Amino acid sequence: PACAGGAANCRLSLQDLFTRAVALSDNIYKVAEDAFRDFQKTYATGREFISRAINSCHTSSIPTPADKDQALNTESGTLLNMVRGLLRSWEDPLQHLTTTVRDMKEFPADMIRRVQEIEYKTHQLREGMEKIIKQVEPGVINDDIFAAWSGLSSLQEGDKNSRLVGFYNLFHCLRRDTNKVDNYLKILKCKVVHEGSC
Amino acid sequence: SSPGKPVILKCRSPEKETFTCWWNPGSDGGLPTNYTLTYHKEGEKIIHECPDYQSRGPNSCFFSKKYTSIWTIYVITVTATNQMGSSASDPHYVDVTYIVEPNPPMNLTLDIKRPEDRKPYLWIKWSPPTLVDIRSGWLILQYEIRLKPEKAAEWETHFAGQQTQFKIFSLYPGQNYLVQVRCKPDHGFWSNWGHENIIQIPSDFTVNDT
Repeated sequence: PACAGGAANCRLSLQDLFTRAVALSDNIYKVAEDAFRDFQKTYATGREFISRAINSCHTSSIPTPADKDQALNTESGTLLNMVRGLLRSWEDPLQHLTTTVRDMKEFPADMIRRVQEIEYKTHQLREGMEKIIKQVEPGVINDDIFAAWSGLSSLQEGDKNSRLVGFYNLFHCLRRDTNKVDNYLKILKCKVVHEGSC
Repeated sequence: SSPGKPVILKCRSPEKETFTCWWNPGSDGGLPTNYTLTYHKEGEKIIHECPDYQSRGPNSCFFSKKYTSIWTIYVITVTATNQMGSSASDPHYVDVTYIVEPNPPMNLTLDIKRPEDRKPYLWIKWSPPTLVDIRSGWLILQYEIRLKPEKAAEWETHFAGQQTQFKIFSLYPGQNYLVQVRCKPDHGFWSNWGHENIIQIPSDFTVNDT
C-alpha cells in the first residue's frame, strides 16, 4: 500500500485513517471489556462495587452525547475533539495503572498484559486522531477538552478493600470511555467518509 | 400477608436506543398487590417512575428513546405493595451500553443458483432486524448462519461478518436443508436464531468440482 514502510512524507487517505482508527478503537474496547470482566470476576463478585462507581469517572466533566440523536446531531469537529479529549484524559491514569499493577504481585499476568496493551494502543489511537483532525478540520483542535485525573491515591493508599474499589472504578470508567470513543469514531467514519450512510 | 420481595430478572435493549426491564413479582400474600418500578440515573438525584408499564407485557417496564441515556448507570428498584405492607427488590444497576441484544434478522430467503460457468450454490439472503440503525455507525451488526440436513443432529455454522447474503457450495444433493440466521452488535449479545427456512437441494446438485 501507498504508505508501506512508513515513508516519511506518507499521507494516508482519510478513509484509511478512519478504517485503522475504528479497528483500533473496537479492539481497545474489547480488551477493556475483558479487563473489567476479569477484575470483576476475580475481585468484585458479590461485593456491589458498582454502587460506588456511580459518578466516579474523572471524565464525566467532559460533556459528551448520551444517546444516538445527540451523537448524530453533534458537529463532526466537536465530536472529533471530544474523542481526542477523552483519549488525552486517559493518558495519565493509564500510565499510573500500568506501573501500579505491574508492581503488584497478586495481580494476574493476564490483567497486567491487558492494561499495558490498552495503554499502548490508546497512545497509537491518539496519534491517529491528530492526523484525522488535521485532515478533517485543521483549525479545530481544542485543548480545553480535558479532564485531569487525581485517583492515584485510591490505587495505592488505604486498606485492601478501598484500593480494590479504586481499581474497580478505574476499570469501570475505562470500559465506558473506550466504548464512547469507539462509538463516536464509528459514527464519524460514516459521517465524514461515507456521507452519513454506511 | 404483606407481599414477597420482587426480583428484577433482566434488562435488554434491542437497538441501543430504548430498553426494557422485567421482574419476577414474588408472592402477593393472597391480596391484590400493586407493583411500582422506580429509578434514578447516575448524575441525578431525582427519583422517576417507570414511564410505560404496558407496552412490553406484565411485570415489565419499557423505556422509550426519551427516557434512555447511554453510558449512564440506572439504579432500578421494584416495590410490591398491598394493604398489609410493601416489599422492595434489591437495587438493579444497568448501563444500556452493555445490555444490547438485537432481535433476530428477518426475511430469510433461500435460492439455488446455477451460474453457467461455475458450480451451483445455495444463495442465502436476509435483512437486518427492524428498528436497528446500521446506517449511521451507531450500531454495527454481524451475522452467523447455521444449516443442516433435516434429519442431521449437528448444525454447520458460518460467520458472515456484516454482509446480508451468503453462498454455500458444499451440500448433499437431494436433501432437505434447514437454515437459520442470527445477529450480534459490535458490542453486545447474540440475538436468538431467526425463523427456520427449509429448501430441497436438487439431486443433480454436484458436490465435487467438475
